[in-house]
Amino acid sequence: MKATTENIKAIIIEIVGESVELEDALPLAEQGVDSLDAVSIYLRIEETFGIKIPDEDLEQIGDIEAIVRYINERV
Amino acid sequence: MLGITEIATYLPSAKWSNYDRKDKFSLDDDFIENKIGVRALCVKEKSEKASDLCLHAFANLEKKGGVKREHVDCCIVVTQNPDFNIPHVSAIVHGKLGLSRACACFDISLGCSGYVYGLSSIISFMRENDLTNGLLFTADPYSDIIDTEDKNTALLFGDGATVTHISREAAWLPRKFSFGTSGADYKELLCDNGRLYMNGRAIFSFTATAVPGHIQALLADNNLTDADIDRYIFHQGSKYIVDTIRKRLGVSEDKVPFDMAEYGNTVSSSVPIILEKEMECGDNKMLIISGFGVGLSWGSAILEKNQYERSYHESNDGKH
Repeated sequence: MKATTENIKAIIIEIVGESVELEDALPLAEQGVDSLDAVSIYLRIEETFGIKIPDEDLEQIGDIEAIVRYINERV
Repeated sequence: MLGITEIATYLPSAKWSNYDRKDKFSLDDDFIENKIGVRALCVKEKSEKASDLCLHAFANLEKKGGVKREHVDCCIVVTQNPDFNIPHVSAIVHGKLGLSRACACFDISLGCSGYVYGLSSIISFMRENDLTNGLLFTADPYSDIIDTEDKNTALLFGDGATVTHISREAAWLPRKFSFGTSGADYKELLCDNGRLYMNGRAIFSFTATAVPGHIQALLADNNLTDADIDRYIFHQGSKYIVDTIRKRLGVSEDKVPFDMAEYGNTVSSSVPIILEKEMECGDNKMLIISGFGVGLSWGSAILEKNQYERSYHESNDGKH
């Protein structure tokens, strides 16, 4: 399965629990996603797309566009 | 049948407020209240050691009545922060309580999964050796190893201790235990050079993926469903992890007690602290207890209320 901004946003909204307007290129930390929700989001992404995200790669996937690129380079 | 007769808890009166430290770690009230779930941490006296916490817990057990020191023939302490590397804490507790020379004592080195492992261990050991009155202590004073500058751990762990009296005058009986280990991940939670290190993301991911499936398998293997369970008592790692496990298990919030807000993550004491309270609820007939963490390791058990419970105080001498 390929990542899209839509399915990544769906994961984020499911975790954060709010229907928020997420911007694709703005860091998630600046859009109200705290550190614990971020960890949940990474886990859900790993489970959904069947990939592993090493800790050292987390700085590469700070926003939705970067997450989509990262996943699609690995699936 | 050997089982849980009584549990007593000790929580130090001194506390550190997480609200007083929120600015230090750039956290807001909502994160402390609803994500970490800990408003304050209980903290022991600096000079106190694990054995001292055990003694406080035992004093509270004696106040409840029923246990007699001279009848105790087994004493186990679950801790990974002993008074000294040598000897075992249970020997020190034995000496301080003046227990019988015929009493068997040993420690179990486990953290957050320690109560479940300890409960299985003490009951098995006692049964195999025809022992009749056991004390299972949990006492893991993490305040001695926490880096107060570490955002990952400084707001989580509190000090506490419990003691569980095991005898044939059992109020609750274990029905089944189940255990697991992922030793390849041991580095994600360890104490090195006297300081605790925790990879929060790794521990969360491990817990969220391993524990729900483990509990579901335990239920299925024993022909039980959620409908049969009155309470799920999870190790209190944080509110976030308790909520996450609950949601992934698909069980209702009213079945999952959350209790750590005023004392913190007390490691192997967290499950028995809540179990002590839930045992007293007359509506509870079947419980799941589940501990997970250091190792990485996990353990869960099904506990049933003893339908043939006799009042411990009705027995002639308390020794059966």
